[in-house]
Amino acid sequence: MTGLVITLVIFAVGTAIGLVLRARDGSIRLTRPGSVRSSAAADLPAPVMRAIDPESRITLVQLSSAACAPCRQAHARLSAAAEHSPEVHHAAIDITERPDVGSALGVLRTPTTVAYDSTGTEVLRVTGVPDTDSLVHALRPHLSPATEP
Amino acid sequence: MSPTQYIDPRGPRFAAGITTVVLAVVLITGWWPLLAAQAVVFAAGAFAGLRYSPYSTLYRAVVAPRLGPPADREDPAPPRFAQGVGFAFAVVGTVGYATGLTVLGIVATGLALLAAFLNAAFGYCLGCEMYPLVRRFVVRSGENTA
Repeated sequence: MTGLVITLVIFAVGTAIGLVLRARDGSIRLTRPGSVRSSAAADLPAPVMRAIDPESRITLVQLSSAACAPCRQAHARLSAAAEHSPEVHHAAIDITERPDVGSALGVLRTPTTVAYDSTGTEVLRVTGVPDTDSLVHALRPHLSPATEP
Repeated sequence: MSPTQYIDPRGPRFAAGITTVVLAVVLITGWWPLLAAQAVVFAAGAFAGLRYSPYSTLYRAVVAPRLGPPADREDPAPPRFAQGVGFAFAVVGTVGYATGLTVLGIVATGLALLAAFLNAAFGYCLGCEMYPLVRRFVVRSGENTA
């Protein structure tokens, strides 16, 4: 009897977790100005610093792991977005090779995409496969109006 | 090392479905030999390779021919790692039930059931998500000892 109750509780908890994860997948979280993450561009790990293109208004740093199917999907969408908008640069870092980058940025899941402006200030981050339209929309305040189609 | 053979991602998910049913039966009945059998299944997938898991064999023989080719293929390393995590929980659970530490058995089996259920129902592989995390720890501790 106890076992049955526990099993049902686990199914309920699992359903709740699954729904939350599904809702969060691809969701965009704006990084609040002045928060710990947004402040210290100088503290960024070296691979991230190298990835950020000072010529572009926004660099999308995609954190992937060697073995993750949604990462490839995310990669395709982000490179398409970067191709579409000349002010957006896309770079990928494999955190299987550079686990220190993942821990420094507090990234637990791949793919996670962090958007930086040209100074290395974090603007937003996306967990999961991003929806290109809403991503571009969220980045709009950081892009010059002229380049928008 | 041989080049990685990418696999049909629906295979591990199908296996997770069977695992969910098996672990639920274990929790409801407390019959630990079934959990021990599940541990052997996990071990086959984790240590010999996913294709040697009986559930995977069943998938290829019965389910895959009816589904048609997969839209995408994935690296087998994370699901294989997840089988290893499942194996650890199944062994702890079996030892718990068999030695009278029933609470330990229930907790270990319950956590494994949660992971299997999330994989089967939502396609979210908890063990796979842990793969980069654990590698991070391994690399970090490797750096510390270096």
